[in-house]
Amino acid sequence: MKPAAKIYTAVILLFLFAPIVILLVFSFNASKSLSVMSGSSLYWYRELFRDAETLGAVRNTLLLAISAALISTVMGTAAAVGIHRLRSKYLRAAMDTVTNIPMINPDIITGISLMLMFVFVGRLFGAATSLNFATILIAHITFCLPYVILQVLPKLQQMDTSLPEAAMDLGCTPMRAFLKVEIPEIMPGIVTGLIMAFTLSLDDFVISYFTSGNGFETLPIRIYNMTKKTVTPKMYALSTIIFFVILALLIMSNLIDTAAPVVEKPTRERKIRTAAQKRRIRLAGAIGAVLAVSFIVVMIAGAPKKPVLNVYNWGEYISDGSEDSFNAIKGFETWYEENYGSPVEINYSTFASNEDMYAKLSSGAVSYDVVIPSDYMIARMADEGMLLPLNFDNIPNYQYIGENFRGLYYDPEDLYSVPYTYSFVGVIWDANRVDEADTGDWDLMWNSKYAGDILQFNNSRDAFATAQYKLGLDVNSADREDWNLALQELKLQQPLVKSYVMDEIYNMMESGEAAIAAYYAGDYFTMLDAEADDVDLRFYMPEQTNYFIDAMCIPSCCQNKELAEAFINYMLEEEPAIANAEYICYGCPNSLVYESEEYAEDMGEEAMEILYPDLEHFSELYNSFAYRNLSPDMLGYVNSLWEELKIN
Amino acid sequence: MRKIIELKNISKAFDGETVLDHISLDIYDNEFITLLGPSGCGKTTTLRIIAGFEQPDEGDVLFLGEDIASLPPHKRNVNTVFQRYALFPHLNVFENIAFPLREKHVPHEEINGKVEEMLKLVALTGFEKRSVTSLSGGQQQRVAIARALVGHPKVLLLDEPLAALDLKLRKDMQQELKGIQKATGITFVFVTHDQEEALSMSDTVVVMSEGKIQQIGTPIDIYNEPQNAFVADFIGESNILNGVMIEDQKVRFSGHVFDCVDGGFGKNEAVDVVVRPEDVDIVPEEKGHLRGVVSSVTFLGVHYEIIVDINNFKWMIQTTDFVDVDEHIGLYIEPDAIHIMKKSKYSGMFGDYSSFSNEFDELSDAEAVEDESL
Amino acid sequence: MKKNNTLLQRLVIAPYSFWALLFIVVPLFFVAYYAFTDSGFHFTTENITRFFTARSSITGDDGTVREVYTYLLIFWRSLKLALISTVICLLLGYPIAYILSRASDRTQKILITLIMIPMWMNFLIRTYAWMTILQDTGILNGLLKSVGLRPLHIIGTETAVVIGMVYDYFPYMILPIYSVMAKMDIKLLEAARDLGCNSFGVLRRVIFPLSLPGVISGITMVLIPSISTFYISQKLGNGKFYLIGDAIEGQYVANNLHFAAAIAFILMIVLLVCMAFMQRYANSKAVA
Repeated sequence: MKPAAKIYTAVILLFLFAPIVILLVFSFNASKSLSVMSGSSLYWYRELFRDAETLGAVRNTLLLAISAALISTVMGTAAAVGIHRLRSKYLRAAMDTVTNIPMINPDIITGISLMLMFVFVGRLFGAATSLNFATILIAHITFCLPYVILQVLPKLQQMDTSLPEAAMDLGCTPMRAFLKVEIPEIMPGIVTGLIMAFTLSLDDFVISYFTSGNGFETLPIRIYNMTKKTVTPKMYALSTIIFFVILALLIMSNLIDTAAPVVEKPTRERKIRTAAQKRRIRLAGAIGAVLAVSFIVVMIAGAPKKPVLNVYNWGEYISDGSEDSFNAIKGFETWYEENYGSPVEINYSTFASNEDMYAKLSSGAVSYDVVIPSDYMIARMADEGMLLPLNFDNIPNYQYIGENFRGLYYDPEDLYSVPYTYSFVGVIWDANRVDEADTGDWDLMWNSKYAGDILQFNNSRDAFATAQYKLGLDVNSADREDWNLALQELKLQQPLVKSYVMDEIYNMMESGEAAIAAYYAGDYFTMLDAEADDVDLRFYMPEQTNYFIDAMCIPSCCQNKELAEAFINYMLEEEPAIANAEYICYGCPNSLVYESEEYAEDMGEEAMEILYPDLEHFSELYNSFAYRNLSPDMLGYVNSLWEELKIN
Repeated sequence: MRKIIELKNISKAFDGETVLDHISLDIYDNEFITLLGPSGCGKTTTLRIIAGFEQPDEGDVLFLGEDIASLPPHKRNVNTVFQRYALFPHLNVFENIAFPLREKHVPHEEINGKVEEMLKLVALTGFEKRSVTSLSGGQQQRVAIARALVGHPKVLLLDEPLAALDLKLRKDMQQELKGIQKATGITFVFVTHDQEEALSMSDTVVVMSEGKIQQIGTPIDIYNEPQNAFVADFIGESNILNGVMIEDQKVRFSGHVFDCVDGGFGKNEAVDVVVRPEDVDIVPEEKGHLRGVVSSVTFLGVHYEIIVDINNFKWMIQTTDFVDVDEHIGLYIEPDAIHIMKKSKYSGMFGDYSSFSNEFDELSDAEAVEDESL
Repeated sequence: MKKNNTLLQRLVIAPYSFWALLFIVVPLFFVAYYAFTDSGFHFTTENITRFFTARSSITGDDGTVREVYTYLLIFWRSLKLALISTVICLLLGYPIAYILSRASDRTQKILITLIMIPMWMNFLIRTYAWMTILQDTGILNGLLKSVGLRPLHIIGTETAVVIGMVYDYFPYMILPIYSVMAKMDIKLLEAARDLGCNSFGVLRRVIFPLSLPGVISGITMVLIPSISTFYISQKLGNGKFYLIGDAIEGQYVANNLHFAAAIAFILMIVLLVCMAFMQRYANSKAVA
């Protein structure tokens, strides 16, 4: 290569590997931040291996990728052979066109089209769940198939057509001629197709997002659903491990390739060739065996043997054993077996927003036993008959729920829900850059002194609410004019806003990228733990602000109500409740928690003050500031206003 | 001699285009038979029908008297050497040759012996473990032959096996193939468009054109007694003229009545007359049967090839005597140099060398097309 | 080989034909069906009309307010960013594909592997890592500051979104062009030189026309995913870029499946028409 070419190649590689280097480095971060490095440790690797849910997602992703790759390779190879032998020009053109569709259709369309069909067909047959492992597998096979065909077909076209004829001439049946002569000839195409299919399936997020259902969560979906809480360096650690595994595999296969001489020399060729051949065969065999065995192990491990409880919760919204916490999921499984004498398994999946969860549930595509939505969504679901009344005889621990958290507007008769957490929106600010005199109310977020340093919510309801509270408007107004005013206010704010954020807020506030943000109270402490040296984060609550409650409910698609109620009851036990409250860092309506001294000590004084400011008047404040459900008409209107804001 | 293969009234069409038009052919034991013809004449299709890769639309294929038309290729005791050899690239030399044996589950010990025997036959002993892709064209050819012969087929089909080799190698392989055929006693059915190759190797030559057999015979018969203008032109060089048979042993062409040795035609029947270029003697103008002007002279080493214009018909003459362009010469033709043929659909299409170079171009174009289509 | 194999051939192609019909063709009809119905599954063209007629007012940089067609504007912006990313991918990727195709076998293999490796890392995570690099207090500005240069404001701009798109889809541009170029006969280049072409002439008159099939498939493979992405714009655009993918996802989350399907339907039709034209152009070039 010429020097210029070398330099150019190096620059391109630098570009390609820059983010990889970043995630390698940050996977060793001692703190939770993805943008501020505070000492190195193997902490996140340890965390990763303790995180059963993430490992489960990895398992699911691999299971899906291996199955999709194998099936699409077999079917795609057969299809390529068939297409290659088609004699009719028109049939061929038709096959080519159909094969091209998934490649020239954006994956969002492939995903939506399959989802619409699955849901429609599911409804037609009245299936409880129309989205499950099978549907996501079908979707993955569908988008992998064209890539396999496009790898295999050229190999068939390049192949001398007399090769299979020669084999038949020499005594092979057509089938054996195919197996013994054609398959080895097109093998490179098949292998490339397999690898491509595996890669595509492994990395796919969009199609999985639309077609996954019931408790089958892949890694990309799990990462996407971490958007209310934060993506931790744990994920970087996982990526780092994946990186090195791939690297090792590649180096191994390269070493073996170079060991085999490229040009056979007439002398001594016997020994070299046989040795290299044997080694190659052995390696191929070993890889094949490893794949097959891991596949089977995964299949067996994945097959449910016990009654399964499907829980659908926000991402990062349960104490899952990470960071030395108590594992509430495993805890329930043990507790249930001890108390009821039979084993049970939790199938835990996550969602990114109430609307996300509602879209999945209302499509009838999935079925869950316990869901944990927010208040206004509970009201909506109860209205639409999507929730089952609870049998409180099975939930004796409900007695520990504080008086102030009962009889709230979304469930006035306490029929459908058991409060899980509550919190409120406050303003986080960096004392090193913001003048304390400017703080105290919503005006700070419109203060042009801090233009370019302000973060706003990237979800319509929360963003509009900041404007509505600032203007003293009703956040639940049925008057379009009120919303128009709020939109004008948000448009005024827009030039000052650095970014519309959800989970990105953590990075941005911790690193000093931004100085002012509205977010949920508890999350402030997560940021505090990871703030950079030159950042000094503080928190205050404006007088008018959003209070919200997330509560456990049983949706009407529940398959095992008693088990679901046992789960809800367990979540109110002291140990898991405290663990959850500490993990999530939001306020807890459970008196076993907020009256616990141990808990108060763990959280610290500042946290207790912020999270439990005035419990006496909680229900009053809550009922006046909480979001209510909006009419579908109004929701559509707000959505279109939001789009108007976002296209500016 | 025993008939091994009989083709009876075979017809075949691809996409409505007739490729074989009612051909019948007997192939005998221990025979080296060549199917000769230009591209598109149906020779390869005939071979593929014998091998079983194509089914005839009409007609029967008999193998030792039994109908095998519906027998798949792998059940026929017939093997093929393919034009581009069709060696399996993922197998080495030994495994390529052993392929049919393994397919028949021949015991291991026997396989070794048989493969070695074949390698010896094609002079490739010591090449067992070589990758077939590392071999030269000639070596690959030999492996292909060894592989096709190892199962001791009754008939070996060879589809233009020498086309990809250079001239020198081709000549050697011709001899070698002939030798192998003699040594094994297997019937060889050889397909080629190279008439020289056909004449030098074959016991029997089958000349085909447009899906029909034009003539079957020994090389000498075919050369000396072509049955129509097509055969006369395709095999060697020929001057083909319109003539009239005045009576037996008397024919008129080019305005002159010649004595000849052929007879049995009707009185004053119009015929095609063939005179081979090497059979014409150049004599001084006044002594010749015919007179003309030399229009071109080409030196070819062994002889000169000259084109003579006689009454606007261009004759080709091969001679060792030197003449000059524009020289006036006389041509002398012995009676036994004149071959009389009945008129056919090919009459008037060949045998005039006025467009010599053009015709040559056409021929090579046709070959190129054939190569692509295969 | 012909007649006696048709049964085998049918058996071999049957599963795929069935699959393709059921899971590739039929779902597209479902998109159309949802696009042209309301929530009660009664026929309506309202969803389609809404895409073309919905209006909103935006404030320009100079403070002037003007009315725009909401979805047409969103569509145009997505198209613009996708086109810019595709052109950059092509400009950056074409030379690297050429360099690769002319390198020694061993180098080719190593470089191809290196280009492929990032594709195995989850793209959400890679995009996240870019946030760390590009933000105002990020790695890049840290480096710039340390060598005494002015920091750049990239995150939240079009540049950042384009960087994200280019990064994520770059290998999809390189690989098809490379595979076409690797097969190109070096003698052709020598012949062109022999016939009097300078280096640029060889590139323009021989290499580029021959590599066109690779370029076309590279463009397709970059343009299609970048026009419909919604994650990259959310993360690297600071939530300020609302693209067609965001619109579809937004409508899906807002439980408005029929309008989501309508947007998807229109996007699909536009892309199919574009691809058909591009294919025709490529074919006409190939014939010429």
